[in-house]
Amino acid sequence: MTSSRFRVGIVGWGAYIPAYRIKAKEIARQWGFDDRVTDSIWIEEKAVAGADEDTVTMGWYAAKSALLRAGVNPGDIGAVFVGTESKPYAVKPSSTIIADALGISTKKLSTDLEFACRAGSEGIRISVSLVESGTVRYGLAIGSDTAQANPGDVLELTASSGAAAYLVGPADESVAVFENLVTYVTDTPDFWRRDGSKYPAHGEGFTGEPAYFHHIVSAVKMLMDESGLKPSDFDYAVFHQPNGKFPLQVGRMLGFPREKVLPGIVTPWIGNTYNASALLGLAKILENSKPGQRILVAPFGSGAGADAISVLVTEKVLERVGRAPTVEELMARKKYISYAEYAKFRNLIHRNLW
Amino acid sequence: MKTCVIGSGVTKVDRHYDKNYLVLIDEAVSKALADSGLDVSDIEYLVVSTAFPESILNQADPSTYIAQNLGFRKVKALTVSSGEVSGAVALDYAHALIRSGKASRVLVVGFEKMSEYPSWVINKVYTKILEYEVEGIKNVTPPDYAALITNEYMRRYGVSRESIIRWSIKMHENAVKTPHAQLQFTISTDSLSRALRISEPITMLDSHPTSDGAAALLLVNESVAKKADKAPIELVDVESSVNLPIYLREDLTYFSATAAAYKRLSSRNGVRLTTNTAVNVYDTYDIYGLLTIEALEICARGEAVRCMDEMPYLNVGGGLKARGHPVGATPLYQVHELRELMTGVSWAKYDGEISLAHAMSGPDNNAWLILLRRWA
Repeated sequence: MTSSRFRVGIVGWGAYIPAYRIKAKEIARQWGFDDRVTDSIWIEEKAVAGADEDTVTMGWYAAKSALLRAGVNPGDIGAVFVGTESKPYAVKPSSTIIADALGISTKKLSTDLEFACRAGSEGIRISVSLVESGTVRYGLAIGSDTAQANPGDVLELTASSGAAAYLVGPADESVAVFENLVTYVTDTPDFWRRDGSKYPAHGEGFTGEPAYFHHIVSAVKMLMDESGLKPSDFDYAVFHQPNGKFPLQVGRMLGFPREKVLPGIVTPWIGNTYNASALLGLAKILENSKPGQRILVAPFGSGAGADAISVLVTEKVLERVGRAPTVEELMARKKYISYAEYAKFRNLIHRNLW
Repeated sequence: MKTCVIGSGVTKVDRHYDKNYLVLIDEAVSKALADSGLDVSDIEYLVVSTAFPESILNQADPSTYIAQNLGFRKVKALTVSSGEVSGAVALDYAHALIRSGKASRVLVVGFEKMSEYPSWVINKVYTKILEYEVEGIKNVTPPDYAALITNEYMRRYGVSRESIIRWSIKMHENAVKTPHAQLQFTISTDSLSRALRISEPITMLDSHPTSDGAAALLLVNESVAKKADKAPIELVDVESSVNLPIYLREDLTYFSATAAAYKRLSSRNGVRLTTNTAVNVYDTYDIYGLLTIEALEICARGEAVRCMDEMPYLNVGGGLKARGHPVGATPLYQVHELRELMTGVSWAKYDGEISLAHAMSGPDNNAWLILLRRWA
């Protein structure tokens, strides 16, 4: 369903990437993988949340940056959504902690959303509807994850930590306005974590063709069918990026030239930040975009679903980039750690606490 | 009584995430029946070939449920499960039924569904083709043996790594021209440096993929075949032999079970294979394809990497390497491809009188040969 043409937009955005990095080849060596496996999926290194960081702290930082860029009164925010699959509390919302820490009004909608890697973008879609309907003036959608991976699983090469936040509001205050938003969802069990299970499981090749590629291609084609837009109408295309290779591949399938996809790819240097993955790519594009440019963003979540969203950049983007740390600045801020330190930070070492 | 193949059908070899084994079989059998002009009610025996039904599908004797699903009622249904050579054994059984006069119309169905689980589960299942109490519990896997044999072959004959991969390059070229093949893309020597290693020096490019697929062949006696409206192919003979365990072999680079089976088959039928004979051999790993064409006396020992260039009808379907290896169905795919080649359906044109399918379990542990001939 297409909606929101030019009435709602992105008022502010923010990112967070932890400073710690581990080289993918160090993980490969740890488990005796062929070194070339990292090249085959294009992953150089991934960001690792420190011992004192989690989905809430990272989500707060990204949201704070979004509010700084937007320059709005936190009391005017009527909805806060956190899309995550790594909630610090199994029962107790993360969104309420972040909202209170930001001084957001108590008169609000607030909830955590779960849909693997695309719950954050579902938060954006819900916020767009709330703003469009006049229910709230601003809606805050956050995608934040300290992604888990079974040690020794190929997922461990990419599963990383990071957050992105988008403040959705009226188009006339926006740095980019929403043109079209569509979502394609099916029941496809490509990746899951059962209750009580510490790490997610996945269907290897099944996560590719019938899941990632089918859903993103279907969502983007749906958007193009409904809007009449073509790949040549877009200046950039940002896709969910479980690794560096998939977004380039899906871009090719959809007819987007490599130079329109590459600028939005961040995963090879920070890993797959799950709910922040495509949204950090979009943030990086916004920070380098020019007014009038059109961006396609297509997040994907296992289980499975994909969104296709087209936005048009406004002149307001230029004055707001410098108000908070950019994705590139956060990517450049890094400290390399060993596998042992990574294992300690991500709580992979079992020990008695007393 | 002669045995003739008057119908065959296969599914595309692939990872069929959206189809269960019954759906795949239904597709292959429908094609084979349509091809033969026979009806479900004509079939006397349903011989099902599959290697791992209990490990992968939790299903003992799938033939019962395949018969039910296909709408068979009066048929005698049974399952043949003999590891990687299941399909050849099923064809031998069907051949025996017809030669003995016990049956005149036998439907042989082969299938495997290897993409049901992640690769670590499937690799564990596939390793069951080796001896569990010797290799299985010591974590020796099928590609480990291919690696040992490749190293020994390169050392003994001074063959380079790049020469070995030429087998795979040729198989991918053939697969591109074969609609039912799984890996329909070409590879080059340059691809080798980027290929993921499975067991040094074996890489993904040396190995068969994980495959789902189903194939069906209709075997009938002469009198039924005479009524068929297309030139049938005769299944002339089946022969096999068992090798020593690999750790007791004096020469790792000689597939003596394949060689012994070939010698018996050759002398009994008065046939000899040449570089111009259509052969369809097991190449779970490229090195095994090379050793097989040497054991079949088509190529001199140590010469296969050069001699294969002179074989225009070698694995025209792309071999296990690129057509894929839906284990229980693989020998049926081989016979189907040879039949298409001999009846002018294949992309290659072949006018030879005979052709041969070769199947084996692991590195020549148990080798089977199926001889086909044009039927005049």
